[in-house]
Parts: sequence; C-alpha cells; structure tokens
Amino acid sequence: MENKYRKSIVALAAVVLLLTLQAVFGWVDAWAADAPGAAASAGAEGGALEGLKSFWSFTGFANFHISNLVMIVVGLFFIFLAIKYDYEPLLLIPIGTGILLGNIPFVPGYNVGIYESGSVMNYLYFGVKQGIYPPLIFLGIGAMTDFSSLISNPKLMLLGAAAQLGIFATFLGASALGFNPQEAGAIGIIGGADGPTAIFLSAMLAPHLMGAIAIAAYSYMALVPVIQPPIIRLIIPKKERKIKMKPPRAVSKVEKILFPIIGLLLTLFIAPTALPLLGMLFFGNILKESGVTERLADTSRNALINIVTILLGVTVGASTQADVFLTIDSLKIFGLGALSFMVATAGGLVFARIMNLFLRGDNKINPMIGAAGVSAVPDSARVVQVEGQKNDTSNHLLMHAMAPNVSGVIGSAVGAGILLSFLL
Amino acid sequence: MTILEVSSQTWIITLVGWSVVFVALFLLIFIFNNIPKLLKMNFKREKTAKPQKVQTETAGDKYISGDETAAIAMAIHMFFEEQHDEESNIITIKRIERRYSPWSSKIYGLRNFPN
Repeated sequence: MENKYRKSIVALAAVVLLLTLQAVFGWVDAWAADAPGAAASAGAEGGALEGLKSFWSFTGFANFHISNLVMIVVGLFFIFLAIKYDYEPLLLIPIGTGILLGNIPFVPGYNVGIYESGSVMNYLYFGVKQGIYPPLIFLGIGAMTDFSSLISNPKLMLLGAAAQLGIFATFLGASALGFNPQEAGAIGIIGGADGPTAIFLSAMLAPHLMGAIAIAAYSYMALVPVIQPPIIRLIIPKKERKIKMKPPRAVSKVEKILFPIIGLLLTLFIAPTALPLLGMLFFGNILKESGVTERLADTSRNALINIVTILLGVTVGASTQADVFLTIDSLKIFGLGALSFMVATAGGLVFARIMNLFLRGDNKINPMIGAAGVSAVPDSARVVQVEGQKNDTSNHLLMHAMAPNVSGVIGSAVGAGILLSFLL
Repeated sequence: MTILEVSSQTWIITLVGWSVVFVALFLLIFIFNNIPKLLKMNFKREKTAKPQKVQTETAGDKYISGDETAAIAMAIHMFFEEQHDEESNIITIKRIERRYSPWSSKIYGLRNFPN
C-alpha cells in the first residue's frame, strides 16, 4: 500500500517539477522583456540567463505538444504488444522504437527530424521513399520460402488470388470515402496484408500517406491472430473445420528450380510494374533452390533481410511524426485497413468453400486454409494450424496453409503491379 | 457514370485488376499441374533405353505418406539408438599397482650438489 503511494508521489513530484521549470522560464522571459533597461543589462548575468533560456528552448519539454504524447503512447503500445504477446516482435519493436524517435519534440531547422533534408534519419528514410527497402526484403523472403507445398498442390494458388479481394474492395471503399484514385490504390494495398508491398506502392502512388498506410499494414499484420479466428468461425461450419487433407506429394528438385524461373517470367510479363518486388522474390528463391549459391542465399535470408528490416522498421516508425500523422485521413486509413483484412480473410474462406463444391473425395480441402490466402507470412498459416488443432488435435494444416500463404505474396505483388500500371 | 459513389473507371480497375491476379495465378496452376507429367514423359523415354537406372529414379519419386515416413524415421532412430558399443557399465577409477611416479622425485632435482 505504502509502495503504491510512494510511486504516485514520485510521479506527481516529477510533473510538478516540469511545470515549475516551464513556469519559471516563462516568468524569466516576461521579466527579461519588461525589466527597465533590459537591453542595457545584457552583461554576464544576461548571458548566463540567455544560455539557460536557449538550452530550455531546445529541450523536448519546451517544444512538447499533446499530439507527441499520443504518438509516444502508440509507440509504447507497439513495444508492449511485441514483448508481452509476441505479436510480430521483429517488426513491432523497430516500428515502436521508431515512433518514439519520430515523436521526440525538437526545434525544427537543425537537421534532426526525419522530414528535414540532410538529417541522418532523412538519409535512412530515403530507402523507404524511393522504394529500395521493400524489394530487398522480398529478396530475403524469396531466399527463405519453400514453395514445395504450393508446387505439390497448385490449385491452392487460387485461394491466394481470392484473398486479394481485400485489396480491390478497399480500393473501392477508399474511392467512396473521397480519396483520389492514386490514394485509394495505395490504401487498397493494405488488404494485401504485405508490409513491403504496401510501402512500395504507397511510395509510388501517395507518398504523403505512406506513414499511415505502413503503420496500418504492419499493425494489422501483427494482429492477424486476433482478427482472423472469429471470421474463420463465422464463415466455416464446425463440420468443415475438421476436414483432413491428404498429405502433399514429394516435389522433385527440378520442379523446385523451375518454379521461380517460370513464375518470374510469367508474372512479370503480365505485370512488369511488379518487377522490383516479384523479380527479387523469385531471384531469392532461385538462389535458394539452385543449390549452388548457398552463401548468397544465406546472406539474403539472414544478414541482409535483418539489416533492411531494422532500417525499414525504425524509419517507418519515425515517419509517424505527430504533426504529419495525426490527421482525419489517417483515421480513415486505419478503419479501411481493418475492413480490408476482414474482407481479404472472408474472400479466401468463401472461395475455399466454393472450391470444395467442385472437389471430390480426398481431394477436398479444409476451407480454413482460405484464410491463409492473405499474405501475412507465416502468421495467417499459423492461425489456420491453431484453429485446426482446436477442432481436431490430429489435424495438421500448417503445410497446406503455407501454399495459399505464399501464393498470397505473389498475388498481392501482382495486384500492386496492376494498380501501378493503371494509376501511375 | 458513378455506381455507389464510385466512378465507373474505379470499378473497371477493380474488376480487371482482380481478374488479372486470377489469370496470372491460374496460368501458374496450369503450368505446374502439367510439369510433373512433362518430367515423367522424359523418364519413360529413358526407361526403354536404360531400364536399370530408371528404376532407381522412379523409386526416388515414389510417393510416401506422412505415416510411412514417420514409421521409417522411428525404425532408423531405434536402429541407431541400439547401435552402441558393448560396455561393462562399471565406471570406476582403475587402481594402478605401480604407485611410484618420478614427477616429484628429489633425486632429479636441480639442487643436488655433487658430494
């Protein structure tokens, strides 16, 4: 009990101290301005006082605004989610810390802020603004992804296409809310549930909305284990949730090598604007599957992707500077983002049930894997596995769910390419 | 023209865009449904020429279910677990009869003065 009071007293004392400091310096300002012969007495005492005043004016306390506090709380919440609930910690810790960095109040004009040209943060942000980081992330994803579940059962790729309903439904929704077509396209890509793709497209189509779009995409990706299960239970009847799928066939090495080569040629001939993303994704996979470039594949899937994730996360977080980020448009984007994840999940699930109408015997699929069509790799596949286990402990759906999951990555990148070619 | 507050151009982008995603992935499905067949065609040709070699290759491609894989893995695991040196299971410090060791012997010391 005593301990509790002690904490409150310390917190109160800190607040009182800060207010006193601000008040004292306020009075000093007023006194310095009003004092008779103030200009004449600008001697040694005045210099010391000026120094103190100048120091105070540079501190975060003097430049503090309530919007900074709001964003700092958001940043702390991200860090809390990552540590306490293990929600995408590799993303939420850098982004959360980036939000803290971006919302420290400072005096503009001294090359500190992320939006001030010449500042260190601005140089790091260049990779986001120019869409450099997302393709590098895709290279790493390609080098760590095993497409064999997809190759062994190619029809599951349709689920990855169906879940892209989220992108296009959000595009319509954003247009209806009054965003221009470019902005609507950039917001729509949140439904692809793919952070790098969202950053890439918004950097090209609507750079001013990129902070909000990236934060929405990454936070909803982290919240996939919260968003998807209720929708799965709503759309898939209990009986269908228990369907066991036949194990995937063994895939030969030749097929594994052919997949990225054919995938690269085919998808990029259809949507060349997706070249930076899909090109790097399939390039990474060729490095992995060729079997002769293990060193390059290893660097891509470990060192490179880790470095880029750090830079991307912290700069995207820092781009949420309160004065730029806290707008009505951001709120709309967050609303549309939540809706897009739900629509994408529902699209995949409904399509899986429709597919089952045409499949016979042991070819039937467990419709829950449709939820993995949103490309949040591998979280949505993990959600499907957990839901499958809840209904039947002997039913392992992870490998099957990985197929629509990785095809969702391809699908959302193709979708981004198409939106670019229409709207750029 | 606007439908549900959205211009017809936006509707066109939506419908065409989603369809193209389907088409792209559908083409991939078509190709990868047929690739195993194409690869098997090659095997058949080889089969007539070198029957012995083909046998081993088809054995490599044979489908094995998860249960069978688990059973094989368990059998191998048990086999290797049992492959162990025969030991007495008596772990003690062996007593050595010859107790003399010259490591601290005074006769090898440097401070031995000649008589």
